[in-house]
Amino acid sequence: MPKVLIVDDAAFMRKLLRNILFTGGFDIAGEAENGKQAVEMYRQLKPDVVTMDIVMPEMNGIEALKEIKRMDPSAKIVMCTAVGQEQMVKTAIKLGAKGYIVKPFQAPKVIEELKRVAGI
Amino acid sequence: MPGKVLLKTPVELYENGWVQKEAVLYNDAIMIDGLNILFREIKDVELTKYNGKVAIRLQTNNSEFFLNFGSKQGQIFRFLTFNLKADRFAVYFISPAIRGGVIVSDAKWEKGYLAITENAIWFLSPNKQIRIPWDNLGSVGKELKTVNKKQRAVLKVTHVEKNEVITSYVLCPETTLELLDQYINQLLDRQKPREKLSEIEEQILTMVYSGVDSAGIESILGIPTDELNRYYDRLIELGLAKVVKIRKEIELTPKGVNLVNDAMKKVVG
Repeated sequence: MPKVLIVDDAAFMRKLLRNILFTGGFDIAGEAENGKQAVEMYRQLKPDVVTMDIVMPEMNGIEALKEIKRMDPSAKIVMCTAVGQEQMVKTAIKLGAKGYIVKPFQAPKVIEELKRVAGI
Repeated sequence: MPGKVLLKTPVELYENGWVQKEAVLYNDAIMIDGLNILFREIKDVELTKYNGKVAIRLQTNNSEFFLNFGSKQGQIFRFLTFNLKADRFAVYFISPAIRGGVIVSDAKWEKGYLAITENAIWFLSPNKQIRIPWDNLGSVGKELKTVNKKQRAVLKVTHVEKNEVITSYVLCPETTLELLDQYINQLLDRQKPREKLSEIEEQILTMVYSGVDSAGIESILGIPTDELNRYYDRLIELGLAKVVKIRKEIELTPKGVNLVNDAMKKVVG
């Protein structure tokens, strides 16, 4: 089962993603509530995929993406955005994000996108 | 007198059963065996299943018709959508741009019209005739989007299709965009629920949309079934949700318990 690290500052969104991904056959490696924590947890847990919120306190998703890609260029990161963050999504893709999902999302779409990125 | 004849074709009209007729398509009307339907009187048109056939539903001020044009159905439907009674605005649009939270990778701008009728708004182009009934329309608002490397104001339209949220974008001159934004939102206000939802109610709606089941919602929110049912009742009352399944909670009778005991004996050997 591919291991996922869920990164979102909203506890509700983390729980929702956890539920969806667990049901979809993913193993939840961990949850981080900001970019800084995400970088640290990525280093420790080496997940197969990361779902990364963009707007977060301390370190935003774009900065965390940069750090993780610097540490591991093969990292598979799916940006999880709200509508209206198109410019940031483009920046993230340029920086190496492998996919993106837009809130509100539906479980089958999220699972499909993460499986695509995880290569399963 | 009707205008120029564009096409003569057989058609099936539903009159207590499918009846074979001949239709003559003019540039301003359609005539079926003496029945003359002027385009400017067509309030709504829709492709739908009706009495065992895929039919064009045509609604005028006083009547409703179901027509099956066979192999010419697509062509005639397209023609009717471009000619029905509507406020039409020349625009560029992308629809769908986002489906169920995932960006549609091959979506591109199309030149066409945004048409507004009493019953629906339409995205019209030679390739697409997308009808969005007012009930299915979610929100309409302006947003900045990069188009050809330039930041442009666009109109973001969300709607629901088969329980998925679809986002579309409209690009047109800013004065038209402003007009469309105000006009559509005025019409949309009629449909919006008046009551404001609490945070937990919004979370429950989000989870139901995402496909989380009742047990999952209870676990995520840490609330018992009875409490969740109360929230469900309110969402149903507000017209934001509907019941699709009633879950039964059961407990075993002594007869049932005995049967489990017997079954376990078989498993153990």
